[in-house]
Amino acid sequence: MGFFDVLMGRRKLAQPAPDRLFAMSTAYVTMETSMGLTSRGTAAIVFQPLATADFESIVRDMEEVVRATASDSGTTVTSSDDTYGFRWLVLRGSDFDDLVVGINAVSSALEAGGYGDRVLCAVFGFDDDRRKRPVYWIYNYKRGAFYPFAPAGGSEQRDNEREFVLKAQIGKELPVEQELERWFPLWGTPI
Amino acid sequence: MLFTIFLLGLVYALLIAVLIAAGAGAVTIAIVAAGLFALQLFTSDKIALASMGAREVTPEEAPQLHAMVDRLCVQANIPKPRVAIAQTPMPNAFAVGRSPKTATVCATTGILQLLEPAELEAVLGHEITHVLNRDVVVMTIASFFASIAAFITQFGFFFGGGFGGNRNNNNNNGFFVVILVSAAVYVISFLLLQALSRYREFAADRGSAILTGRPSALISALMKIDGGMARIPQRDLRSASSELAAFYIFPPKAKQGLTNLFSTHPPLAARIERLQRLEAQLQGTA
Repeated sequence: MGFFDVLMGRRKLAQPAPDRLFAMSTAYVTMETSMGLTSRGTAAIVFQPLATADFESIVRDMEEVVRATASDSGTTVTSSDDTYGFRWLVLRGSDFDDLVVGINAVSSALEAGGYGDRVLCAVFGFDDDRRKRPVYWIYNYKRGAFYPFAPAGGSEQRDNEREFVLKAQIGKELPVEQELERWFPLWGTPI
Repeated sequence: MLFTIFLLGLVYALLIAVLIAAGAGAVTIAIVAAGLFALQLFTSDKIALASMGAREVTPEEAPQLHAMVDRLCVQANIPKPRVAIAQTPMPNAFAVGRSPKTATVCATTGILQLLEPAELEAVLGHEITHVLNRDVVVMTIASFFASIAAFITQFGFFFGGGFGGNRNNNNNNGFFVVILVSAAVYVISFLLLQALSRYREFAADRGSAILTGRPSALISALMKIDGGMARIPQRDLRSASSELAAFYIFPPKAKQGLTNLFSTHPPLAARIERLQRLEAQLQGTA
């Protein structure tokens, strides 16, 4: 955003950072072998649906394409809207790589349609050997970085200690968000 | 760190040189200062505990707190300090006492309610490391000369006028130089003392991480106690995103250069950064 845009109060939504989603495919091996995390077989992409004919047709086409490719690999796709007005496209399947590829297909389709700035995040769900609750790795498209989210017992509590341990354990295998104030939680994830 | 000690030493040497050069009342000043030093060393713990309204508790009164301190002392291989609780909602913990034998570890009721057991253990580990490192003695000795300087400065202000009348000009000038130098020494050693204190805090964080083996628990505890900028948000990404997209309000990276110089504790972000590095070392990914 240039100086005059600021002066005139014109601003644009931030565009996605260079895609580093696929770092998850390799990092997943480490998570499963040495970090006590196993995939719940679910991943989701969260975006803000626009009420325009153009956008809706893109979403429809995209969902169909994902369904078509997904049925080949045994992955299922469901779509739901949440109370914040965001749409969750949830992929379920036993093959983790397929989940990552599926998520990438959705974000690519939205980006190709010029709606890349509407994509909020991708979420991967994991079962945690050391806790009774799941942990999530959230990928922020605008930042091109992942961060851990470990919900704790009680309403809207999170286990910061576990999150820091996960960050340290994954090390440099995953681009982890360095600014802690951007580790926003996703309460009530449907995955 | 070595640089700080070097500077401290340099400043003290200067002070002594000036005192010898001035040659006036040095013995008296030294005796009084030594008395003050002893007083500070032997009563500071009681004063600190009393000012916080802390009360020593028995293992029956606070079994969990005692059990936690027991385990940490076994790990650290030190005799068990006394355990006290202060009735205040402000989350805080501190350790006082000259040696591990005479030390008291105190936690407020606020911190006992706020933190999870693992986090509380990490905080107690930090305080027990202070005891182990004999930080009270270190800081008292380090501030010894600063106290002398402060004393001379006050002495000068109170009696400077009285002496002026019946002395010749040369002596009078010398006297004011002593006062000025003492004031300067006090200011400089104050700043250096703060630097030393910040270093001891880092050392205590590190000691806690080694004692408990859970640096991340200490990070979590520090963030809860401080509630400052580096805090991981509780606000949902979806509710945050629209607001952030609209105005891009992010906590500004405060220019802390000058405030850092005057604070006894390092900034939270720096402590979290170092603890994260420790956790990475622990996990073998550093």
